[in-house]
Amino acid sequence: MPAGFAEAIMNNVILELKGVSKHFTLSGIRNIGKVVHAMDDVSFSLNKGESLALVGESGSGKTTTASVIAGMYEKTSGEIYLDGQPVLPFKTREASLRYKKKVQMIFQDPFASLNPTHTIRSILERPFLIHKLAGSAQELEAMLSDSLEMVGLSPAQEYLHRFPHELSGGQRQRVNIARTFAVSPEVILADEPTSMLDVSIRIGIMNMMLDLKEKKNVSFLYITHDLAGARYMSTKIAVMYAGMIMEIGPTEEVIANAVHPYVQLLKASAPAPQEGVRKSAIPAKGEIPSLVNPPLGCRFHTRCPYAKKICSEAVPAMRDIGNGHLVRCVLV
Amino acid sequence: MDADAILELRSLKAGYATNAGFVRAVDDVSLTLKRGEFLGIAGESGCGKSTLAYSIMRLLRDNARIESGSILFDGTDITSLNEKAMNEYRWTKMAMVFQSAMNALNPVLSIEEQLIDAVLAHKQVSRAEAKKTAIEMLELVDINPERISSYPHQLSGGMRQRVMIAMALLLKPSLLIMDEPTTALDVVVQRSILQKIEELRHIFGFSVIFITHDLSLLVEISDSLAIMYAGKICEYGPSREIYASPNHPYTKGLMNAFPTLTGPMSRMGGIEGQAPSLLAPPPGCRFAPRCASAVEACTTAVPMLRTTSPGRLCACRLCGGNHE
Repeated sequence: MPAGFAEAIMNNVILELKGVSKHFTLSGIRNIGKVVHAMDDVSFSLNKGESLALVGESGSGKTTTASVIAGMYEKTSGEIYLDGQPVLPFKTREASLRYKKKVQMIFQDPFASLNPTHTIRSILERPFLIHKLAGSAQELEAMLSDSLEMVGLSPAQEYLHRFPHELSGGQRQRVNIARTFAVSPEVILADEPTSMLDVSIRIGIMNMMLDLKEKKNVSFLYITHDLAGARYMSTKIAVMYAGMIMEIGPTEEVIANAVHPYVQLLKASAPAPQEGVRKSAIPAKGEIPSLVNPPLGCRFHTRCPYAKKICSEAVPAMRDIGNGHLVRCVLV
Repeated sequence: MDADAILELRSLKAGYATNAGFVRAVDDVSLTLKRGEFLGIAGESGCGKSTLAYSIMRLLRDNARIESGSILFDGTDITSLNEKAMNEYRWTKMAMVFQSAMNALNPVLSIEEQLIDAVLAHKQVSRAEAKKTAIEMLELVDINPERISSYPHQLSGGMRQRVMIAMALLLKPSLLIMDEPTTALDVVVQRSILQKIEELRHIFGFSVIFITHDLSLLVEISDSLAIMYAGKICEYGPSREIYASPNHPYTKGLMNAFPTLTGPMSRMGGIEGQAPSLLAPPPGCRFAPRCASAVEACTTAVPMLRTTSPGRLCACRLCGGNHE
């Protein structure tokens, strides 16, 4: 990226990751010394009010990335900056709360992420109580109503006394989103928020998130395995494979002119009814490699139809091909 | 019966007895599947698509039953067959690939045992011959025959699903029912499985019923398409035509619920509300409570599935045809 351009957007950056890695140590006598390279050398920045889609297959490290940013896992190496300040391990509860008021997460499974023994009221009032946002009981009541009505659960009184099992999957995910927005966060990490929902209501939830993003001027890290959904939700896209970002750039540019062979494969694999004819065979061979012993060099070279000797020798660096479009491939 | 048809459903009704009452998950479904045809059935969770598949295989759970209607397989009504007679159909003439290959394979038996079992259960051949069949089929689904002694946990999700497909095709059935076979798989693996099915279909010439909630996938791979909503088929026709010009408001809503990878990006609509409970479905059209174009008549009388143009059926009083 040219220096001037970087300067210009500097003030606008809310979240930045620089070479962040997360390795999990395996337990058990047979696994001594073995680590899972779940996330390696992940770098990206998220601007204020921007939506970045993190796309990848299962096991590509996208959820690990969100969990590390959310502070649920301690990163192994690298730096994370929020509002220009390095995010350090939280020493006090206050430090942890301060961070979590700014960074919130929407979980994938609306059936598992709401406590089944609590009413919607007690689920939803917790963020207000924990972060001491309400001055009085009346104020809390108003905040509860507002947050439910904001996500289209109206009238709020109809829902507050209910239990999660009395709501549909879509309604539960709306409660999740209301809870996430309760503390007025600056960054929202949305981990496949619609993948467990029925197709006819997915778009409704996606539209609601887009509207709330505009209205509240929050930044979204939108995690998905669906390239078309990523296109709908984001202006910037990062494609992960086996723990590493392979390609990142403006969404339309990356989808229209995918450069990395893996991103091309992903694009060719997506259902495309509008193309009108059955597509010819794609060179899909093999599956995602083990992250305990990731392949040397480029992690995709074991499946890549264009792989050369050099690909198995060293991990390619991210290379800027202009317009904020970066690719991790030596053949480009 | 159409001589060209391999399977014909006539006014099929099936459902589950629950504590709260009888849930009719398949309500008056009629369909014809031609030899060699690839039929896609699309619908959301709870619309009855899996119950339909299990009814055809006669593999419904204990609390479920086929209430009425007939299932003609090659001209024989299989709803009245006893278990012994039905076993001559299952796997030999019609086979099924289940949604979750992880759970459908026995974790304590090797792939070899399970494949050989399937052959020996239905065919009078020697063990060595059964193994030969199993190896040939594994090769066809691109699994190295050396892996035959593996246990399911030693295989990846995509490989397990390919073993399931090999198992379903062992006895060369003429109908293959696939219930969300790729839902749990990654998109690249899904694509390779779909290509494999196409390839095998050209070798063996079987008919396919492919069930999924992913309409965009079906439009691409199937010849004809049935859209199910709340236990009923609401639209049927050639896939391409339905994609180009959907008739039923529910189909239109579904088509507008998938973002695309190409073309201009515009705000999409989806469908408001949620599917009705099948314990007490709404009177009249079941989609009426969610339908933006519903008129009063929609809430009182059930629209019949009628021909709107050659080869196309629609169950909506607003899309032409006589629905009374």
